[in-house]
Amino acid sequence: MAKKILLIEDEEIMVNLLQRKLTAEGYETSVARDGQEGMEKMKEAKPDLILLDIIMPKMGGFEVMEEMKGDGELKKIPVIVISNSGQPVEIDKAQTLGAKDWLIKTEFDPQEVINKVKKQIG
Amino acid sequence: MPEKRLSLELEYQKTREDLESLERYIEEFSEFLPLPVFIVNPADVIIGINRAFQDLTRYNEMEIVGKETNFLFLEKRKVKTLEEEILSKKKRIIREMTLLTKDGKKIPVNVSGQFRRDEEGNLIGYFFALFNISALKKFQEELEKKVREKTKELVGKTKGLEASGKALLNILEDIKEALSKTEEEKNKTQAIITNFTDGLFLFDEKSNLLLVNPQAEVFFKIGAKDLINRPILELSNIPALASLAKLLGPEIKGIFRKEFQTKEDLVLEVSTIPIMRKEEKLGTLVILHDVTREKRIERMKTEFVSIAAHQLRTPLSAIKWTLRMLLDGDLGETTKEQRNFIEKTYGSNERMITLINDLLNVNRIEEGRYLYKPSRADIEVVTQFVVNSYKEESKKRGIKIDFKKPKKKMPLVSIDVEKMRLAVQNILDNAVRYTPVGGKVTVSLKRAKEEIEISIKDTGVGIPKDQKARVFTKFFRAANVMRMETEGSGLGLFIAKNIIEAHGGKIWFESEENKGSTFHFTLPIKEEFGEFLKTG
Repeated sequence: MAKKILLIEDEEIMVNLLQRKLTAEGYETSVARDGQEGMEKMKEAKPDLILLDIIMPKMGGFEVMEEMKGDGELKKIPVIVISNSGQPVEIDKAQTLGAKDWLIKTEFDPQEVINKVKKQIG
Repeated sequence: MPEKRLSLELEYQKTREDLESLERYIEEFSEFLPLPVFIVNPADVIIGINRAFQDLTRYNEMEIVGKETNFLFLEKRKVKTLEEEILSKKKRIIREMTLLTKDGKKIPVNVSGQFRRDEEGNLIGYFFALFNISALKKFQEELEKKVREKTKELVGKTKGLEASGKALLNILEDIKEALSKTEEEKNKTQAIITNFTDGLFLFDEKSNLLLVNPQAEVFFKIGAKDLINRPILELSNIPALASLAKLLGPEIKGIFRKEFQTKEDLVLEVSTIPIMRKEEKLGTLVILHDVTREKRIERMKTEFVSIAAHQLRTPLSAIKWTLRMLLDGDLGETTKEQRNFIEKTYGSNERMITLINDLLNVNRIEEGRYLYKPSRADIEVVTQFVVNSYKEESKKRGIKIDFKKPKKKMPLVSIDVEKMRLAVQNILDNAVRYTPVGGKVTVSLKRAKEEIEISIKDTGVGIPKDQKARVFTKFFRAANVMRMETEGSGLGLFIAKNIIEAHGGKIWFESEENKGSTFHFTLPIKEEFGEFLKTG
């Protein structure tokens, strides 16, 4: 059975690219365009991994992680943050909120995202 | 009649005796008289002299009496003239003459003459008395000489005085001029101080407040007249000045462009300048420059760059990922020609990302929140990591990179590893980029007393002499490298310098155009981390 990945990202082109790449790698993907939608989708789809953007409308990535942390079920889902920024403070914050990994979009290629995903869920 | 005859004889006898007695008296008197006297008859023949006369003239009676007076005086015939004058004026007359003595001396004398008459009033001769005035003369001459000398001296002194007088006048004039100049200068200085847009406090050498200019009064909302002559320790009790007094310290320490926030939300840049006359310290000038506006603009600029850079990053990463996937064939087959174009576009996009990252780094440096994660690390490992990352690039460019590792293990240093990598990378990047084919880049480590020195030497194009001072400034690119490569943000060395200095190190270089450059930097071995470290 294919592993399910939830993509929470507001940038259309990023969604398209990642979805394509992940599908090609054999993952089953679902997409949310903001944090709120993300919360709903993760409760409904129960993904094996979440790729999470930080700056989004309605609800940002950090808020999403905080809410997940308070939920016994959701906090078990591994999160990889995909962000534009890579400030040490932000990375630290993400780590304390339970993120497994951190990716800076400008510094990584889509292939490296796949590698990091594989590292988490195979 | 014998009786009558006897009586006559007796009378005669008596008269004769009287006469003789008178004659003796006169003779004795004349002999006793200290005044030299001679008597002449109307024909100017000397008929008598006294003892004093003989003593003065050295002539005896025999040699004098019966002679005319001429030979006695230097002035011939003067006695004769004197006699005539006495006769005509009928009174005693005194003339100065020169007596010639027997032994050839010339003695100045006053000759006082008077005529003699018989009972009928007929002239029978003259009395002359001599008064030796040689002592007087000598005295007079000496006096005159002295007067002359004194006069001369006085004339000299007067001239001297006149000269000094003139000089004094000149000096007075100079002083007057200098005074007016000083006054003018003072007025100018006063005007400058009063109208200066910076706030000024002037303290004397004992840290008493001497002067506050109007701008400083405005900055702190204070009145100068209540504060003058008070020591800084007292000023620290005034709420408006307390924090400034604390910053300056009781002895007013040396401060250069230190930022200071007032109660009124002003940002002032404080500098202190000791006022020296030769070696002596006269006081301290405290200058307060209002940088509130600059700070606000700086903050706006920083915010703008930060927002712009972050906004640019999103599309740049979208482009990056799209191109990457195209190149990897994830989006379908591409022709060789297409791939070629996409590769170049990908490269351009990467440079843009680097530039944005540099700008963000500079921004964070300027915001003072840059270093973040200090840890004890081995600088050799950090350097090796960067050198390794340039192996491929240098091979492509036909340049040899040599890392001369020290024989002995280096002590650990407290560094932010990520940032230190960036610093080394920025220096090494320039070395590789601006060294022509066949050149060599040598990286070496050396332990000094309290620090580790890292040197990166190249055989590259060097830095033009007239541009050396600007090497570490923002956006600087040397003229010779601009011709070689159009890309490059001019931020690399600025970032490197800031990173190194934030670690308490120093950076410098030697360079000669067309021969190469060597950049050195040091890192202190001490354990504590620099004060630059801030979270945020």
